[in-house]
Amino acid sequence: MSSGYKPDILWSPHHADRYVICDTELSLYRIGPAGSPETKAGALPLSEQTAATLLAINSDTPYMKCVAWYPKHEPECLLAVGQANGRVVLTSLGQSHNSKCKELVGKEFVPKHARQCNTLAWNPVDSNWLAAGLDKHRADFSVLIWDISSKFSPEAVPAEKVRLSGDVDSGLVVTKPLYELGQNDACLSLCWLPRDHQKLLLAGMHRNLAIFDLRNTSQKTFVNTKAIQGVTVDPHFQDRVASFFEGQVAIWDLRKFEKPVFTLTEQPKPLTKVAWCPTRMGLLATLTRDSNIIRLYDMQHTPMPFGDEVEPTIIERSVQPCSESIISSFAWHPSAQNRMVVVSPNRVMNDFTVFERISLAWSSTTALMWACGRHLYECTEDAGQGAAAAEKDIATKMRERAQSHYGHDTVQVWRNHVLAGGDDPQLRSLWYTLHFMKQYTENVEQKQQSNKQSLIYSGIKNIVKSSSGTTETRRCWSGSDRQTDVPRYHSEERSLALQLCGWISRGPDIDVEPFLKSLEQEGEWERAAAVALFNLDIRRAIQILNKGASAEKGDLNLNVVAMALSGYTDEKNSLWREMCSSLRLQLKKPYLCIMFAFLTSEPGTYDAVLYESRVAVRDRVAFACMFLNDAQLPRYIDKLTYEMKEAGNLEGILLTGLTKDGVDLMESYVDRTGDVQTASFCMLKGSPGEVLKDPRVQCWIENYRNLLDAWRFWHKRAEFDIHRSKLDPSSKPLPQVFVSCNFCGKSISYSCSAIPHQGRGFSQYGVSGSPTKSKVTSCPGCRKPLPRCALCLMNMGTPVSSCPGTGKADEKADLTRDKKLAQFNNWFTWCHNCRHGGHAGHMLSWFRDHSECPVSACTCKCMQLDTTGNLVPSDSV
Amino acid sequence: MDLHILDHRLRVTSISKTGLEQYTHPLIKLIFLRNRTRCKFFSLTETPENYTVVLDEEGFKELQPSEHLQVEGSTWLPLNVVSNGNASSSSQSVGVTKIAKSVIAPLAEQHVSVFMLSTYQTDFILVREKDLSVVVESLVEEFNIFREEGGESVPVHSQDACNGLQRNGREVPHATVHPVLIPENQFCVMSLDPDTLPAIATILIDVLFYSNSPREGASIDQDMECIKFFSFSMIDGYVSLVMDTEAQKQFPTDLLFTSSSGELWRMVRIGGQPLGFDECGIVAQISQPLADSDISAYYISTFSFDHALVSTRKEVSFMIHSKSKRQD
Repeated sequence: MSSGYKPDILWSPHHADRYVICDTELSLYRIGPAGSPETKAGALPLSEQTAATLLAINSDTPYMKCVAWYPKHEPECLLAVGQANGRVVLTSLGQSHNSKCKELVGKEFVPKHARQCNTLAWNPVDSNWLAAGLDKHRADFSVLIWDISSKFSPEAVPAEKVRLSGDVDSGLVVTKPLYELGQNDACLSLCWLPRDHQKLLLAGMHRNLAIFDLRNTSQKTFVNTKAIQGVTVDPHFQDRVASFFEGQVAIWDLRKFEKPVFTLTEQPKPLTKVAWCPTRMGLLATLTRDSNIIRLYDMQHTPMPFGDEVEPTIIERSVQPCSESIISSFAWHPSAQNRMVVVSPNRVMNDFTVFERISLAWSSTTALMWACGRHLYECTEDAGQGAAAAEKDIATKMRERAQSHYGHDTVQVWRNHVLAGGDDPQLRSLWYTLHFMKQYTENVEQKQQSNKQSLIYSGIKNIVKSSSGTTETRRCWSGSDRQTDVPRYHSEERSLALQLCGWISRGPDIDVEPFLKSLEQEGEWERAAAVALFNLDIRRAIQILNKGASAEKGDLNLNVVAMALSGYTDEKNSLWREMCSSLRLQLKKPYLCIMFAFLTSEPGTYDAVLYESRVAVRDRVAFACMFLNDAQLPRYIDKLTYEMKEAGNLEGILLTGLTKDGVDLMESYVDRTGDVQTASFCMLKGSPGEVLKDPRVQCWIENYRNLLDAWRFWHKRAEFDIHRSKLDPSSKPLPQVFVSCNFCGKSISYSCSAIPHQGRGFSQYGVSGSPTKSKVTSCPGCRKPLPRCALCLMNMGTPVSSCPGTGKADEKADLTRDKKLAQFNNWFTWCHNCRHGGHAGHMLSWFRDHSECPVSACTCKCMQLDTTGNLVPSDSV
Repeated sequence: MDLHILDHRLRVTSISKTGLEQYTHPLIKLIFLRNRTRCKFFSLTETPENYTVVLDEEGFKELQPSEHLQVEGSTWLPLNVVSNGNASSSSQSVGVTKIAKSVIAPLAEQHVSVFMLSTYQTDFILVREKDLSVVVESLVEEFNIFREEGGESVPVHSQDACNGLQRNGREVPHATVHPVLIPENQFCVMSLDPDTLPAIATILIDVLFYSNSPREGASIDQDMECIKFFSFSMIDGYVSLVMDTEAQKQFPTDLLFTSSSGELWRMVRIGGQPLGFDECGIVAQISQPLADSDISAYYISTFSFDHALVSTRKEVSFMIHSKSKRQD
């Protein structure tokens, strides 16, 4: 018969390193680190780190059905064993015979009628009490509560009985239980309720779960259910109980005991063990028969049942502690987090720790937080100077840029790239492009050529398409009379394109010299030299290079390049040409490279220049506008536009303008970088109405606003909204909230439509500074007085005097601030809960010191109801 | 009090002593190989006349019809009374006594024939399926009635209003007084952990199937001082055994469960001729006076006769006395 028993496992309640395996006998093990001197040769490895040593075996109690470990420290290794005939025997393991529990060991508790003992439970507080659940008998109770300290059986033991049980020492036999419960029914499982441990016992009877109150044993609370096996109370939430039946686990709330709060998904095989994790909230482990996995149900986030409708969320996982073997039983470690030992039917044991789920959350800034077990990790971006700005997360960049008013410089548009940090060539190109576009738009507007306006914003791609009347010139190298064979093309559109590229300034002047000067100032020697060279001024180019070489921190190699340049000859087969065309490829600097490429190219075939991707797009486009003919130019521009769109390169905005093409380009830029900030500002910047209506653009703008809100950059958000409504009047929100008169119900801001909208959710009224709108303390519709301010008791509409409660000194210090706030101080404010309110200024100062409503009889905690009122904006005004 | 109509559909059969060998295979399967059959309700009682086998339809499939197998024609349903805890204060008596007034008497009044089966764990009152509506009507006042279906207890309410006494159309015979037989041997009611059944398998087989071997069988006819009576039942996983002290000696003492007082019972066999299944009121006749005097008793019906178990000779004589009083 013993072969049928599967081993079960019990952790010592107080020794974190001891546990007992029970099958036909009880075996006490000590767990320790593997390989330590303590663990002897006979130690069984439980995991890579731990091993178990067998300390003691007890085979005194045959026919074991259930075992329970005495919950108190002393006596330390006392076990109650429930036997197949219903007797409960106290026994011990690995204790010396003079130990404290000597008088208890061997004590037997015998029910009147023999039947199987199904379950045992020690009272957690009154540890003399041991509850035993038995099978049913026609005339007997199924729940017996024994007092282990009772000394003798009060009734004389009849001789017959002694014969049946074979007892020798009847002094150790107790037959009179303290309490008897549950007549004519079987008890399959029971547990004491920690909430009212002295008095309450939950038992899985044959057909119901019943709560017995030992103060009045004839009363019981019960519920009919099939789930009556293995009742167990959540140690962390004492009203939550799990019980199971076959493959189904029901979770109960003892406060609503009529039906299970929920049931877990049914398993195909019958469950054998269900246990709450003692070290972790709401983690329930279940084991089914003949299975090698333990299922875990994480009820961590289960909201406590507020109503029937609340369907809790349960995260279900399964773990496989030992790869192949079937698990016979498992036991959570009483103190080590998420640790358990599992045992297989052939007594192979395994020490196992359930790895905690990792949950992580991004903050609205770039910080990342993750939690595992009881540890919380925060991960923030390295703010050290070592981290290159380019490495920073786009969110950090956007935050910094928002704080530096990026995008808000509407006069010197190019400065925005400086506000953005000035280190991103694409942003630089973008803002210069927008700057030039704006400049020329204004220019054109001055000339009243409104039809050209769209052309400029449509970008160079469209400009060159409309190109007509191109003239071709062959110029001399300046400073030399040698005729070049390089044709250069001119047209109105081409020079417009050059202007947009920034090579020439506005007006009829096509001199490139100012541009060269500015490049020289910025130390872009190679670029300046290249531009000079493309303008066929080889001497100027050499001069620039020399200058660059002699400048502070200048590159002396530039002199060498200048020398090489000076040897230019247009002789087709000269050595110079041959060497330059091959050696130029070794030049690291792209502008130097394209200079020689230009000089060694055949006219009309400038691919080495045009497709040198390290050269700025605007320079390549300007070059193309000068040297490509009407057939080549649009082809090249189209190709380049396509490339830019694919790459999401903002330099391409020069080509696409703020058109649908531009939105496409920006889309791939946003896809690549996530920079909705630049996208929003750029698209607002001057883009025609139809582009702004593009859902993608609206999406970027809304996302950027949400981002600012999430960062608590409310002022920045407001600034952005103002900026936006200036550029896109259609985005201006209509007033949505009006203050209506208590008497006539009409809006009291009769002039609301006349005055500009002041903000979201508030209507401004009665501004003191304005003489035209002098004090109006009555409704303009019905002339009834307006409500009074709860603090100054004046009718609303009366301007605010000094704030009560703040000292004079304070006021002076805050004078400018007060002035700013003066308008707002007169606004209506009120609590949405108690409907009391008054002047905004008064309310603000009141709630600085109070949380309760200023109206004396009102106990409304207005301030605490305001969830956002306590948040401080992260950006200062 | 709750009355549960259990989810078993039972047949009452009898196997003749001579035909036993034909049925040993299915019986051994039903007793020892629980996981090979889906039978949940099985009871085998050996009396000198025959073997009475009560079992559910799953188990009934195992029994091949033959001339040796008698089957009562109807389907029987077991009723079980569940006291919900508050009975603890009342009498300490057990068995049919407890339900004599509340169940047996009202059923007898309505002329419902019952088949009683007491076990170590509880008492089952078997009624014919066709009588169920009468049963529900007559007991609905006293009990909360539940019908168990697939493990769930469904409350049952009396649907049709009752219309007098003659509902089952059976004529009302006057209570006959049956002769009784009181054998000398004493009996014990025991139980067993089903897991330990294999350990006593050979003893059980010996007692059940080889009891007619000459060493005891010779004495059966010559006197009825001691009668052969052995009952084994396994109902919903619970084992119950009723045997006389002679048979008990053959079993190891540590495996069988009994009450700590080790009480022994005397038997009263009711009926001189086979009682049949249609007569009603027999159980009531016996149990009523017992209940009046608060005497514990078990009651086991078999195919031919009824058997009541009471604890002492004094109570036996009390029973006889009260019976004869009725006769007068």
